[in-house]
Amino acid sequence: MHFEPAVFEVQGLDYSVNGQQILDHLSMTVHKGEYCAIIGPNGGGKTTLIRLLLGLEQADKGEIRLFGVDHKKFKAYDKIGYVPQRVMQIDTSFPATVFEVVKMGRIAKRGLFSREKPEDRAAVEDAMHKMDVQHLREKRIGELSGGQRQRVMIARALASKPEVLILDEPNTGVDQHSQQRFYALLRELNREARLTIIFITHDVGVIADDIGRLFTINQTLLTCNNPKEALSCSEMSKLYGIDAHSLHQHHHH
Amino acid sequence: MLEILQYQFMINALIAGVVIALLASVSGSFIVLRRYSMMTETLAHSALVGVAVGLISATNPLWMAVIAALISAWTIEYLRSFYHLYSDAVLAIFLSGSLALAVIIVSLAGAFNSSLFSYLFGSILSVSREDVITIIIFGAIAFTLLALFYKEFYFIAFDEEVAQTSGIQVKWLNFLLVSIAAVIIALSIRIVGTLLIGALMVIPTVAALRYRQGFSRTILLAGLFAVTSVLAGMVLSFYFSLPSGATIVMCILAIFVISLLINRR
Repeated sequence: MHFEPAVFEVQGLDYSVNGQQILDHLSMTVHKGEYCAIIGPNGGGKTTLIRLLLGLEQADKGEIRLFGVDHKKFKAYDKIGYVPQRVMQIDTSFPATVFEVVKMGRIAKRGLFSREKPEDRAAVEDAMHKMDVQHLREKRIGELSGGQRQRVMIARALASKPEVLILDEPNTGVDQHSQQRFYALLRELNREARLTIIFITHDVGVIADDIGRLFTINQTLLTCNNPKEALSCSEMSKLYGIDAHSLHQHHHH
Repeated sequence: MLEILQYQFMINALIAGVVIALLASVSGSFIVLRRYSMMTETLAHSALVGVAVGLISATNPLWMAVIAALISAWTIEYLRSFYHLYSDAVLAIFLSGSLALAVIIVSLAGAFNSSLFSYLFGSILSVSREDVITIIIFGAIAFTLLALFYKEFYFIAFDEEVAQTSGIQVKWLNFLLVSIAAVIIALSIRIVGTLLIGALMVIPTVAALRYRQGFSRTILLAGLFAVTSVLAGMVLSFYFSLPSGATIVMCILAIFVISLLINRR
């Protein structure tokens, strides 16, 4: 059997800020080619977990392995494409065209003294094509709609030819139509390019058919299951700490 | 031949001015986009400490200014990233602290004279051949570094965290950027003066941003604005016997106001 190390392997992760426990002994594993969603209440540690995986924060305790390598020794960050939460809060007067933003995805890959190579150019064009933003090439990012801007940010992440794509609530402020299209694109990336996708969302009902696994996180990993076996009301209640009946129905209307 | 070009000191000043205009505006673009604008004022005041040391120890004040600005830039970055102090507060502390130190050094030596005045407000008369050479050498180094790392600086300005997660050495490059800025600022005080250099770094970019272009065009515009105002300012300063730094700054301000008016939404 062909062995491939897990993309992310987290063991007993503790993280606290100013004495407040954000993550409590969290363990989880994400395998190559998986499409998984992370849900949980605000402040439950979803974003913190991602920031720990990316090395933006340091855990108090626990082990993180990326592609089988301890995160302290991990160097190949270009294998990870990250699209942060704040797509809508971007500085609209920042002088950047769509093309310039997508090209940023190649910077770390190119290294210091190398000039732009045909493969860089090709990767940028390919990423723009996949996210359908070529026609916006010369537009400034400040002029774009929320949905377009979101696709540009993902195109930038894709331009580095990552093996994993991490998206943190990418649909905040994006209209319904763009969302549908966006989910279709993600599904394609996962199935055809075998891209591992980790998706933080509130909107799990919409992608329940696509995703392979659903992690529910509130301080620690509560459940990890097949989303098609619908979340039970009691699980939802446990997660959000309230009677989640209405929420549950909302997701399966 | 134009009268202005018959004087060797004017030719020195024009060469130095164009080099500095380009360097200040290009490095200034990254500084402005990173919201570090006040850093330029602070480093300029730190450079003055170097000037003071240079004046009393009879060493080249320009070299001393470069060294003082570099030490200050590194200390500020260090305090900011390791002690998590408020950046604007750190800048304020260094700004007044350096000025105080410079004034004390100069007055201890009894050297409070016109020479210091020329460093405060810039003086094209004082640009020596040696200064032009210093400016070109350090300017070439600064420009090479900017050319090598501009993509990285741009990415960091756009989104520091995403740049870091994509494997860019953000901390190290932040140090490098402020170091480059420190060197350029120290070199500029000959022409524009300590109290006015901030304008040359910040205003061309802010004016260029009004035209809502992509990054490469914004930088080109900023460079064009800076060179235009430095040349115009020097010529005006020559014919009307005005202090060069102040005249240059008024020219940049004029371009800024015009840019604002043209690009009203």
